[in-house]
Amino acid sequence: MCAIDTLETDMRTSLLIAAILIAASGAGRAETPRDFLTRFEKEAGTAASAERGARFFTAKQGGEWSCASCHGERPTQAGRHAKTDKPITALAPAANAERFTDAAKVDKWFRRNCNDTINRACSAQEKADVLAWLLSLK
Amino acid sequence: MQTENPSVRVWDLPTRIFHWSLATSFVVAFVTSESEKWRDIHVVAGYSLAGLIAFRLLWGFVGGRHSRFADFLPTPGKVLDYLKSLLAGQPRHYVGHNPAGAVAIFLLLACGLIVAASGYATYNEIGGHVMEEVHEAAANGMMALVIIHLAGVVVSSWLHHENLVKAMITGRKQVHHENPAG
Repeated sequence: MCAIDTLETDMRTSLLIAAILIAASGAGRAETPRDFLTRFEKEAGTAASAERGARFFTAKQGGEWSCASCHGERPTQAGRHAKTDKPITALAPAANAERFTDAAKVDKWFRRNCNDTINRACSAQEKADVLAWLLSLK
Repeated sequence: MQTENPSVRVWDLPTRIFHWSLATSFVVAFVTSESEKWRDIHVVAGYSLAGLIAFRLLWGFVGGRHSRFADFLPTPGKVLDYLKSLLAGQPRHYVGHNPAGAVAIFLLLACGLIVAASGYATYNEIGGHVMEEVHEAAANGMMALVIIHLAGVVVSSWLHHENLVKAMITGRKQVHHENPAG
């Protein structure tokens, strides 16, 4: 009996923790892609360049992958995971309203994907440039 | 083989294979979680972990004596008694799992199920972003449990003068006669 109690308690605890995490991540006010662009430009201390962003996005930089390897050359369309071949929803905000609206997601995926493509963290300027380019796509 | 202390068989072979396979699949899944390049390995490790836990749940009813859940169900009374004996510096000795270890085992199994199910959901895009959060939280919880489990193994081995790591490899424990409890 007690094992089942323990299991249930643990599951309840896990669900509770998950609920708190989700609430906490959702509590950060809804942001727009423009807010992120402003934030990255401010951190970089310079204005973003969509042109530079386009080059950064499509060119491999020593690694096996570029951003475009998964997100496609035209991120207004769905991409395809370079390893699993699974579809990835469009990255450009004009084509996908959910993109760049959640700070936790934005930070998490820049962290992971920059490591996968350029083997280091992206600078604020690189993030600003890429986002400026993505925002220019219609 | 045995000269002074006789040894008893505690962990049957399937339980030992399960233990080290689970540990391996969890470590592999954990270290491959940060890069998309390892995504397929991560998924295979996740399926392995799920399959292993399914086996262990079954083995908990039909396996060897000390592998059965009924052998180490941790009632609050037993856990409390064990912790008290631990604090008194005279830990009660269990041939199988001690009650504190038993709690960790049930929590690990439950955590593993949540990690595998939420990982499957995330990979197959069922249940949305929530599943990704649950997956990460449960995996981190499982890692915390693993660390507690390892600390427990070290402390327990030291207090009871027995090598628990070796016991999980050979399946045998030396017979002692200190504070026997079960």
